[in-house]
Amino acid sequence: MTDVTLKINGETRSASVPPETTLLKMLRENFNLTGAKLGCDIGDCGACTVIIDGKSVNSCLMLAGQVDGREVLTIEGLATPDHLHPIQKTFEDCASLQCGFCGPGVIMSAKALLDDNPNPSVVEIRDALAGNLCRCTGYTKMIQAVQEASKVMRSDTVRRLAKTNG
Amino acid sequence: MAQKPGSKKDSAMSKKAKPVRSKKSAVIGRPVETVETLRLPAVMQQVAYPIEALAPKVRQQTPAVGQRATRPDCRLHGLGQTKYIDDMSFPGMLYCKIKRAGIASALIKKIDVREAEAMPGVMAIITGKDIPVNSYGPSIKDQPVLADDRVFHAGDGVAAVAAVTEQIALEALDKIRVEYEPLTPIFDPVEAMKDSAPKVHPPSSNIYATKLIKKGDVEKGFRESYRIFEDTFTTQMVEHVPLEPHCSIASWDANGRLTIHSTLGRITLGRTDMARTLQLPISRIRMVATIVGGNFGGKNEITQEPALAVLSKMTGRPVKGTFTRTEEFIATTTRHPIIMHYKTGVSKEGKIIARKVRLVLDGGAYCSWSETTLGKACILSPGPYNIENVHSEAFVVYTNKTMTGAMRGFGAPQVCFAYESQMDEIAHALNIDPLEIRLRNAFHEGSASPTGQVLHSVVVKDSLLQAAERYGWKEAR
Repeated sequence: MTDVTLKINGETRSASVPPETTLLKMLRENFNLTGAKLGCDIGDCGACTVIIDGKSVNSCLMLAGQVDGREVLTIEGLATPDHLHPIQKTFEDCASLQCGFCGPGVIMSAKALLDDNPNPSVVEIRDALAGNLCRCTGYTKMIQAVQEASKVMRSDTVRRLAKTNG
Repeated sequence: MAQKPGSKKDSAMSKKAKPVRSKKSAVIGRPVETVETLRLPAVMQQVAYPIEALAPKVRQQTPAVGQRATRPDCRLHGLGQTKYIDDMSFPGMLYCKIKRAGIASALIKKIDVREAEAMPGVMAIITGKDIPVNSYGPSIKDQPVLADDRVFHAGDGVAAVAAVTEQIALEALDKIRVEYEPLTPIFDPVEAMKDSAPKVHPPSSNIYATKLIKKGDVEKGFRESYRIFEDTFTTQMVEHVPLEPHCSIASWDANGRLTIHSTLGRITLGRTDMARTLQLPISRIRMVATIVGGNFGGKNEITQEPALAVLSKMTGRPVKGTFTRTEEFIATTTRHPIIMHYKTGVSKEGKIIARKVRLVLDGGAYCSWSETTLGKACILSPGPYNIENVHSEAFVVYTNKTMTGAMRGFGAPQVCFAYESQMDEIAHALNIDPLEIRLRNAFHEGSASPTGQVLHSVVVKDSLLQAAERYGWKEAR
């Protein structure tokens, strides 16, 4: 068994798992975080995307042991009790989630992009979402939603800075 | 994960839960004091409710026309809180994996499961012989749940294992020994139509359904035509690839009632199939449809469910089966590849006088929804055009390949590709504008379909003209 201690969505958690356990499996089975989905199990579809130390990662391709001591953000860690994350809100407003199975992965890829690049071009958004497959919604509305979210997040940042400075 | 009360990390927790948790840490080792303590979830909810759900209230009039619509279920989708079937589990649940044949056509001589059965953690193994009635299908019941005497395509299951973990079930598959006597497979549907071809389901013919539509006199029409165009078009096999793989959980309780949680789209049909394969009164079977992560026609019939049910009965525990992506491709239905031969006679002005169509649908190993697909492809094959003389015949043929079934459009997209491609070729050869040739032939209000159905609300021409205007068709040419 492999002992893993990591920070998930801001909280320190630990688990003891068989060494072949993937991060995805550990998240879903040991921590009941079922937001990340198993779609292909070979890193093609991106339904299992989570953010590790700021980088989006296919959690089906990473062993649980590899995240020992690192920080993982999953879809469950985005919203607060009172507020949706701006990306979640714009995905809802732009009707970017149909069956929704790919949604958590896409939103996490978008989050990694916007944290890194607050004002991405359409090409950059396409690049960031290239590892996420969708079969019902289509990508147009998702790209729209990411553009909208980037606007909202930038104006939020401006407001916050104004508050701290003033 | 224990946490100090009042810690900053708490902020992601529900406000309600906070004081309750601090109470809990205060009462460790002492009797439970409050009802709230009892209600504490075993695992903390990462997203605390209520982030208000979007569901309309009872009897609330929701505006529709002219309003911007939001999906009521998308809030939970975006939060990652929607529970698809693979997100569910039941106490004591086992995991099922299916051994695939890996050979297209063969007789099964022997299946030896002894070594696999002896593995620690393996709870039960079944083969086709353990399924009470080992055949199903939406129309022709030609598909075994697990192949018993004969393998019809490489994706056929031959044994199913239930084990305490997925990993053990997978390892057990490698230890199941199957002895085959290989048979000559047939893969080409046109070859399969010949009398000399090996039969996929002997003694039945490989052609398992046909359809013929006749209107007017095509031969006379061809004689009157200015020019005749003959082309053959083919399409390939397409898998639905829903992001969510097929998954079901069967639990056979001690009272002899069976509950199936499944991602199936057609649970009532599935229930009938379950009753038949398991020889169980339908009233004993409860099907629960879970939220579907993409269907597109691929989740229209049962697949592994009777095997899961039998395993659940044998072990007295719930059994979950999730297909791998590979299984999605090899062991679930796909879109029919069709070989489409079109012979079309036209006047000098591009008016279609006669059209003769011959379709050969590759049905794969089993019928599934082939009869529906065959019918629709045949009826729609002349296209949305007024044609006096039509002769359309269609055949669907068994081959030793993955079965084909329902997929969005049921054969319509394939024939559309063929008749529209030919339409462009005719326009080009006669030097007529591709839009113009369609306007000259297209259905209008009151046109009759090839099968004689009088059509209403026909706006083909309006749509074409509007699209051409918006696109700038004339300017672009």
